[in-house]
Amino acid sequence: MTTPDTQAATPVVEMRGITITFPGVKALDGVDLRLFPGEVHSLMGENGAGKSTLIKALTGVYQIDGGTMTVDGVEHRFSGPDEAQNAGISTVYQEVNLCANLSVAENVMLGHEPRTGPFISWRKMRRQAAENLARLHVDIDPASRLSAHSIAVQQLCAIARATVRDAKVLILDEPTSSLQKAEVDELFQVIRELRDAGVAILFVSHFLDQVYEISDRLTILRNGRLVGEHLAAELPRRDLIGLMIGREGAALDAIERGAQQAFAGEREGVTPTIEAVGLGRHGRIEPFDLAVQPGEIVGLAGLLGSGRTEAVRLLCGADRPEEGTLRLGGEDIRISDPLVGLRNGIAFSSEDRKREGIIGDLTVRENIALAVQTVRGVWRPVPRKELDELVDRYITALDIRPANPNQLVKNLSGGNQQKVLLARWLATAPKLLILDEPTRGIDIGAKTDIQKLVAELAADGMSVVFISSEFEEVLRVSHRIDVLRDRRIVESLTNGPDVDQDTILEAIATKEVA
Amino acid sequence: MTTTVQSQAPTPAPVRSRLSGLRRYLSPEYLPIAGTILTLILMLVIGEVRYGGERGFVSPKLFSNLLQDNAYLLVLAVGMTFVIITGGIDLSVGAVVALVGLVIATLLPMGVPLPLVLIIGVLIGTTFGFLIGVLVEYFDIQPFIASLAAMFLARGLCNVVSVQSLAIKDEGFGALAGWSLKFGEGRDIWKINLSMIIAVLVLIVAYVILHHTRFGRTVYGVGVGDGGNAVQLMGLKAGRTRLWVYVISGTCAGVAGILFAFYTKSGFNLTGIGMELDAIAAVVIGGTLLAGGGGFVLGTGVGVLVYGLIQVLIAREGLDSWWTKVFIGVVLLVFVVLQRAIAVRRRS
Ligand SMILES: Nc1ncnc2c1ncn2[C@@H]1O[C@H](COP(=O)(O)OP(=O)(O)OP(=O)(O)O)[C@@H](O)[C@H]1O
Ligand SMILES: [Mg+2]
Repeated sequence: MTTPDTQAATPVVEMRGITITFPGVKALDGVDLRLFPGEVHSLMGENGAGKSTLIKALTGVYQIDGGTMTVDGVEHRFSGPDEAQNAGISTVYQEVNLCANLSVAENVMLGHEPRTGPFISWRKMRRQAAENLARLHVDIDPASRLSAHSIAVQQLCAIARATVRDAKVLILDEPTSSLQKAEVDELFQVIRELRDAGVAILFVSHFLDQVYEISDRLTILRNGRLVGEHLAAELPRRDLIGLMIGREGAALDAIERGAQQAFAGEREGVTPTIEAVGLGRHGRIEPFDLAVQPGEIVGLAGLLGSGRTEAVRLLCGADRPEEGTLRLGGEDIRISDPLVGLRNGIAFSSEDRKREGIIGDLTVRENIALAVQTVRGVWRPVPRKELDELVDRYITALDIRPANPNQLVKNLSGGNQQKVLLARWLATAPKLLILDEPTRGIDIGAKTDIQKLVAELAADGMSVVFISSEFEEVLRVSHRIDVLRDRRIVESLTNGPDVDQDTILEAIATKEVA
Repeated sequence: MTTTVQSQAPTPAPVRSRLSGLRRYLSPEYLPIAGTILTLILMLVIGEVRYGGERGFVSPKLFSNLLQDNAYLLVLAVGMTFVIITGGIDLSVGAVVALVGLVIATLLPMGVPLPLVLIIGVLIGTTFGFLIGVLVEYFDIQPFIASLAAMFLARGLCNVVSVQSLAIKDEGFGALAGWSLKFGEGRDIWKINLSMIIAVLVLIVAYVILHHTRFGRTVYGVGVGDGGNAVQLMGLKAGRTRLWVYVISGTCAGVAGILFAFYTKSGFNLTGIGMELDAIAAVVIGGTLLAGGGGFVLGTGVGVLVYGLIQVLIAREGLDSWWTKVFIGVVLLVFVVLQRAIAVRRRS
């Protein structure tokens, strides 16, 4: 364990020997963390390592079972997030924790809203919210409802909220999980400004590039224990991964290289699993054609708001198309809702896992069984033994931790919740699997496993539509890449060694919208 | 993982989506309230067509009477709106109305000064609300169960006070109840009494609180359906808010108890049975989502008018008064189905 010295600065936040025990799990075991003013500090670790728990311990969401916390040299134990906020600690929690039924302005400003007497000054509040969003280059109507916006925009709103007040400490728990390069750049610009103004920043991300780009210092956790604190400049990437997963050598190589890219040959005369012809919905997505053949993985690439999610929602029945036709195995079909889609072998894993995905109060087993059971109908329950086998298979395949089918899903870490959601759809053995940001919040090792799994499933004949805001990931798994821009499919690229991120970006930049 | 995007990377269009002012009001969240207003207009038209004759049905007098007869219900429904927006329910209010009436009828003949009696009346409601709030917030008991317990308690106390109807003969009380201003003549008459003033004031104050204060917005946030988790992580006071909405509802029930006593000039242990359901019906008809998280307190005002108008139409039709319940049931059903349809549509 190396503990590099700092240039005589005193930490704003110092946590020592933090221990938190949940029933059956020791989530944190004697963890230390120091945050210095004017520094970006990244908290690293696999899914379930205890990063979010440590953050929630600091801000008083969880009460600690042992250890001490000092803020500005004074020992503190916050009774809740409001107290931490008043003490100058602003936090963006991992899941977008905002109120979907309130307006964007309220979500950004409530709690520090401009007032005259006890009354909210709405006009001023909307203006201030717009200003704060503008810093992140988000231009949306502050009076619109939060739920009207994509997860990425909601994430930006949460970040804007945290930067409204002048804070001493800014905590960002996976703020970039739904964002793309351009938005991340804006965010990093803001982070750098704040850092230069002397704010201490705690950053969590599973994207190592981002971590190395922005961090001065790293603290690494593994299984709830502290592995070490390092200066980012002094810890090579490979060593960092080694410290996070606690393995060395060949295992590391595999993760660093990623899953092998698989390229499919030409396929002529095969009936596509699904074929959309001129499918569209006004204001959401312009009419598009899309065909996915058995065994083919089609990636959808595009910038934020380009219509990727909107397009697949028409395929699976989550939204109703206003025009065009959909063919399933060569026959016309109308899919009025996702249930019909599911019965016809179309599984859709939503990007919004919190609101459209997992059910926190059910167990891991129940969450995984949900879709399988739905396909079979209420009257034909899945035999317990069969179900247990299925659940065990996917817990192992996706490395869901803790590997306990009876754990309530809300008690899992963010990344593990995402794995449960994936398991649910995989368990239905669909003909067409639509994955919208399937690796959101998933750690680097597990991500490779999931990409491999998807490739294997396709090799067995499943059709896959794959959306990711990470172009690199789309490139790695897809046979064909449809590029979207301004709610329109502008180009269809056949993946090959000569196709890379620049090809995609070029397609987005140069294809004029007719 | 190398993500190097060269300078030729296109600058993304700024995230943009703006609704014009009008479009915003056409969004699904305003649909229920539009439905409420439509229903009100429809019923007025039916009334005009069927009983209009040459003297007309819609008149200032009609609205004046509606407000006067339903002032207590408006106050109850306004309090209930707060609770329902947080996703809760308060079943105790009808029993509290009865208890307050009985306490007034008992205390006044004992020579307790009128202002004190009225304050006690309101505070009885506040106390019951506080009790429910504490049960819900700190003992994690479901609102349905907590307020049901409070309902039985209040009803039980009624029987302790008296099992007979007690008339209120106090002069001061009678003067307050009977005071009114009259504008106009005959059918154009517009009468204003104390109950109406209080009810409308309560409505306005509730509107200001719900739409223009941090507390009010937090009430909506708590109703979002994750047990106030998001609100709490935003650093707002979820727990305290949930407690306060029951205090507000209870206090409104106390006030409504007084208004109801003004109206009937008596206290009786069997009054207000099912009154809580009338209040809930008015709230839901007024466009507030039973599931929580959305609604308008002004809609509740319209909901009460619809409720009152159904009663008037039934009376004019010469039907038995229990038909009111049937029609309220039908209207309620339509509105709940409408809410459901909107919720489903919004999700897609
Ligand atoms: N409320 C809870 N009850 C029981 N166990 C919990 C609870 N919250 C977290 N845990 C457990 O604590 C461990 C640490 O979880 P935490 O959310 O801190 O992980 P993380 O490092 O943030 O992971 P990720 O990268 O997936 O977000 C996990 O094993 C998780 O299952
Ligand atoms: Mg986490």
